[in-house]
Amino acid sequence: MTMKRQKLADDILTYLLLFVLCFFMSLPIISMLGTSLKTSQDALASYSLFPESGKWYFENFATVLTKTTFASNILNSAIVSVGAAVLCMVLSCLAGYTLSRYHTRITAAFTILLLALQMLPIILVLVPTFMIYRGFHLTDTLLGLVLNYTATNLAFSIWMLKGFFDTIPKELEEAAMMDGCTRFGAFLRVILPISAPGISTVAIFAFVRCWNEYMVARVLIQSDEYKTINLGLQQFVAQYSVDWALLSAAAVIATIPTIIFLVCAQKYLVQGLTAGAVKG
Amino acid sequence: MNLLRKGKSKFDSPRMGYIMLLPAALLLIVTQIYPFFYGVGMSFTDYSLLTANAPDFIGLGNYIKIFTSDPDFYKILGFSFVYTLSIVVFSYVVGMALALLLNRPIRGRAAFRAIVLIPWVISSSIMATNWKWLMNDQFGFINGLLQSMGLIDEPIRFFATAGWAQFSVTLIGIWRNIPFMAITLLSGLQSIPSDLYDASRVDGANKVQTFFRITLPSLRGVTLVSTTLMFIWAFNGFENIYLLTDGGPLNATMVVPIYAYKTAFNSSKMGYASALSVVLMAIMVIFSIIRMKLNERAEA
Repeated sequence: MTMKRQKLADDILTYLLLFVLCFFMSLPIISMLGTSLKTSQDALASYSLFPESGKWYFENFATVLTKTTFASNILNSAIVSVGAAVLCMVLSCLAGYTLSRYHTRITAAFTILLLALQMLPIILVLVPTFMIYRGFHLTDTLLGLVLNYTATNLAFSIWMLKGFFDTIPKELEEAAMMDGCTRFGAFLRVILPISAPGISTVAIFAFVRCWNEYMVARVLIQSDEYKTINLGLQQFVAQYSVDWALLSAAAVIATIPTIIFLVCAQKYLVQGLTAGAVKG
Repeated sequence: MNLLRKGKSKFDSPRMGYIMLLPAALLLIVTQIYPFFYGVGMSFTDYSLLTANAPDFIGLGNYIKIFTSDPDFYKILGFSFVYTLSIVVFSYVVGMALALLLNRPIRGRAAFRAIVLIPWVISSSIMATNWKWLMNDQFGFINGLLQSMGLIDEPIRFFATAGWAQFSVTLIGIWRNIPFMAITLLSGLQSIPSDLYDASRVDGANKVQTFFRITLPSLRGVTLVSTTLMFIWAFNGFENIYLLTDGGPLNATMVVPIYAYKTAFNSSKMGYASALSVVLMAIMVIFSIIRMKLNERAEA
């Protein structure tokens, strides 16, 4: 009896602590959702997280999308993120396959290079990147961003794809090659189709990381025409600093892809997060 | 399978592999490695965007200035360490608490885990915007809550005074990094064999003893790697503070990466900024080496 009571007490404590901690972890998101549903006046009228019942206001979303430059920011972010994710996917499939199938001194050196690049402070590369880009007229272009995002996502993507390819038996390509495929043909027709789930995971990861990126875009992009979603949001903070309801609506829209990602790819997210630390 | 791998067949010539490696290698060389050496080179010059003169080679001039005559550097370095170490310690402690809770037989674990991951996946710009709103001194939820509970009379100006601004950016930095610690430690916990716990139960150990004698020692490897990574990320990262306080008020929350950024893009002193970035990297490399050596000695 006492043991049962002890267990019940433990359970209650567990859930209580979990709810408190989860409230803390999700507080900015809760507040963002609540504020986006208030009118601009209501947002400043009370500090409660949500509007009073029956006073839910959805106009903010329409206003953000039609009366501000936010739609163009979304489009820019979409172009850059899709572009970088696709390019990254292609390059990391090729490189990941090589690292998985060939074990030579050159592939070992390349692996070490990938790890070393992770240690580089972003600011150490960003200052010269700005200077070099200026020389090639790549500052203030979406192409410049795509190139940088592709490169910064490569290490992680190559690493993950190498892992996926490692799980595919080598005999599969060898059988295809016996049937007259070239090595590259076997890679294209046999390995890539089987790896589709892994490849799409990598692409989604790269997409979300580019979608969320702020600092590189801040340095490289100047004109409003090419501003990405996070730059647009910060511009909002400066311009409409009193209109928190409108600002929150913009933030909600910007968060949608991230939340979809969190819900759909949670398993892979957890794997990616822990791969280095737990095995290492 | 191993046998097949060892047998050299005509399929094993690595030339095709190198060709497939080439595009990624080229892009990394052009966008990462070349800028890196360019930056290290610039750190030995007085390169400034404000003068039309060609940059002069000044040897270690920038580095000597950083360590001997820069009035702000040591203050900035000091806060960088306080900020980084606070994040490492507190995100570890709270992350551990969450990991232990999530490791218990509970309902809805996937939902809880998804919520815990939120700070890790949302963009820093959205995070900063919403925390600034929550901690707003006039209309913010947190001040409202504290006032209605009678804990404070006047609203706290979280980002306006030096002490509170330092507290706020550190708190939000911890919040942002808890998910990584929680999820990493959770998977560490799940890989501890359950017979270890059975044995300690048979020996009559209580929960606290079990935690310190079994759980914590079993997590040594995970702890080492996760805290080292966290140190590097927190010491390197600047979006958090940049977006919350921009290093202010009066440089109170200035950290080395933001200082380097401002030196480059506000003061246009590219040479000096590059030297600051090199110092930043050197500190991280030295720290990582010490961390690994300490661990080797502890294991030997």
